[in-house]
Amino acid sequence: MKIKQLLKLVLINIYQNKVRTFLTTLGVIVGTATIFLVVAIGAGGEAQVNEQYSKLNVGTIIVMPAQRGKVVDPLTEKDAELFMASDNIAHAFPILQGSGDINYNNFSFNSSFIAIPPEYQENNNLTVQQGRALDDEDEKKKHKYAVLGAELANTLTDGNPSEIVGSNISINRRKFEVIGIFNRVGDTGSHSSYDDSAFIAYSVGEKYLLGTRANPIITVQATGLETVQSAINDITNTLNETHRMGGAEQFRILDAGSRLAAAQESARTMSLLLLAVAVVVLIVSGIGIMNVMFVTVKERTKEIGTLKAIGAKKREILSQFLLEAVIISLVGGLLGVILGFFAIPLLKYFELPALPSISGILLGLIFSVITGVFFGFYPAWKAAELNPIDALRYE
Amino acid sequence: MIENAKCIIDARNIVKIYQNGSEKLKVLDDVSMQILEGDFIVILGPSGSGKSTLMNLLGCLDLPTSGQYYLDGLDVLKAKDNQLAEIRNQKIGFVFQKFNLLPRLTAIQNVMLPLLYRGAKEEEAKESAKEKLKLLGLGERLNHRPNELSGGQQQRVAIARAIVGNPHLVLADEPTGNLDSKSSKDAMEIFKELNRQGNTIVIITHDIEVAEQVKKVIYIRDGRIYDKN
Repeated sequence: MKIKQLLKLVLINIYQNKVRTFLTTLGVIVGTATIFLVVAIGAGGEAQVNEQYSKLNVGTIIVMPAQRGKVVDPLTEKDAELFMASDNIAHAFPILQGSGDINYNNFSFNSSFIAIPPEYQENNNLTVQQGRALDDEDEKKKHKYAVLGAELANTLTDGNPSEIVGSNISINRRKFEVIGIFNRVGDTGSHSSYDDSAFIAYSVGEKYLLGTRANPIITVQATGLETVQSAINDITNTLNETHRMGGAEQFRILDAGSRLAAAQESARTMSLLLLAVAVVVLIVSGIGIMNVMFVTVKERTKEIGTLKAIGAKKREILSQFLLEAVIISLVGGLLGVILGFFAIPLLKYFELPALPSISGILLGLIFSVITGVFFGFYPAWKAAELNPIDALRYE
Repeated sequence: MIENAKCIIDARNIVKIYQNGSEKLKVLDDVSMQILEGDFIVILGPSGSGKSTLMNLLGCLDLPTSGQYYLDGLDVLKAKDNQLAEIRNQKIGFVFQKFNLLPRLTAIQNVMLPLLYRGAKEEEAKESAKEKLKLLGLGERLNHRPNELSGGQQQRVAIARAIVGNPHLVLADEPTGNLDSKSSKDAMEIFKELNRQGNTIVIITHDIEVAEQVKKVIYIRDGRIYDKN
């Protein structure tokens, strides 16, 4: 029989069992929708991670105290200078971080502030969109100037950041003049977020905001990705020499590249987990298909006998029932993809990033077809192997 | 004319034994028969006589335990599964007691099936099916499903399906068994007419009234053939 005719015959059979077909497809619908969404969430998650880390220099290494709170033997500016002696290190900057009330026009907002040496800015892609950046003069003369992250400026001014340049704000009740606003940098992976922070000169932070509680971390820039490990070794050696009391043990040395890798890894693990769920759903739905196909073959035993009597070959009976299973699962797959598209806005509502993709659609459909072929084969084979006489005699 | 006619069925010393556990049941015992082209033959026997088994063997739905069977010169015992399917498709037209129409297909789709299994184009199959259905007076019922047709009409659709591929042999198993007397009579008239047009027809039945309408009757009882005429 020509494939077109066979298909027609199969479609007639399926069409006249609409309800049963639909119920059979439910599992496949859910399974395919899950696969489609898994791929979408995976792609969305990866895009989010990449976006977050896009501004991140993978050669960045952060040295910080291993414990929070008061530190007996803190890092110092001197450590940063010593790190620079290493051939593997391009830059090393001490920075101070704190958090507190930032007040502008009687509007108070709890956020973080970061005290940085002025050179830090150009080495961390911090460029101003308005006003100017901090400079060496500010550092030397301890000017109480602040440059705001884009998001913080937005929040403080309720969406009208340009008005804040030249105005005064207070950080933990100390007055600062805003001299500029940085461009948006996105999450760098090394700090809470630059966009939400206020930046002041290092010396100013030390003197006015943190005083003796100053407990810097040092951000180090390796000369390249490949020297990150050697740089870490150099840092460890230096710390062991300069902080004899506790050595390098009391500090944590993080490199951004491995953090990026870890974030990507965890996104991938999440996708794999969801994929496993989808596969389980499809297997269960496949067993459902197999069950229904067995019932169908049983129901149509006499018909199969008749078809054999009028000349249907085994291969043709097999193809007919296999095709029926595959079409049922393919219909489920298509409906599943459509369901998946409807589910994406819902995920976005719950702030799960999801990107629909062709590969997700294809993967979902391929899996649904595989389910149909795999679980439809045995019942179809059973049908094909039926003895024509027994089948004809079946009531 | 009959003397020179081609031998459609040449069965020799057919034995069929069913193995039921350790018990062997000889259903057909040394059956031989020749059926010539253009014959109209009734195989008559009570239930349990082995006539259904004989019909299955003649129809190439089953193979004998021993013996020889040539259908239109072809050695059936040497044929493989697929070849048997082809033989059934091209050389034999089946008519069943319960019509065995496919319930979800329309009359014309049912009749087209044997041609489609032969690989015919849809349009050609449709034309032939329409022609046969019209011939059997079902020109107005082409797109009806079996459940929308009377028993007599269903059997006529089944007969149309049996002859649509111009088989060498029409094999009918109790074709009147599920019909009222009027429809039975009609069906027999159709078979007679088909025979007049040159079709070879074999009817298997336990109904003596059917047998009385034809010249050649083969009696079967306890797996053996008696009294041929």
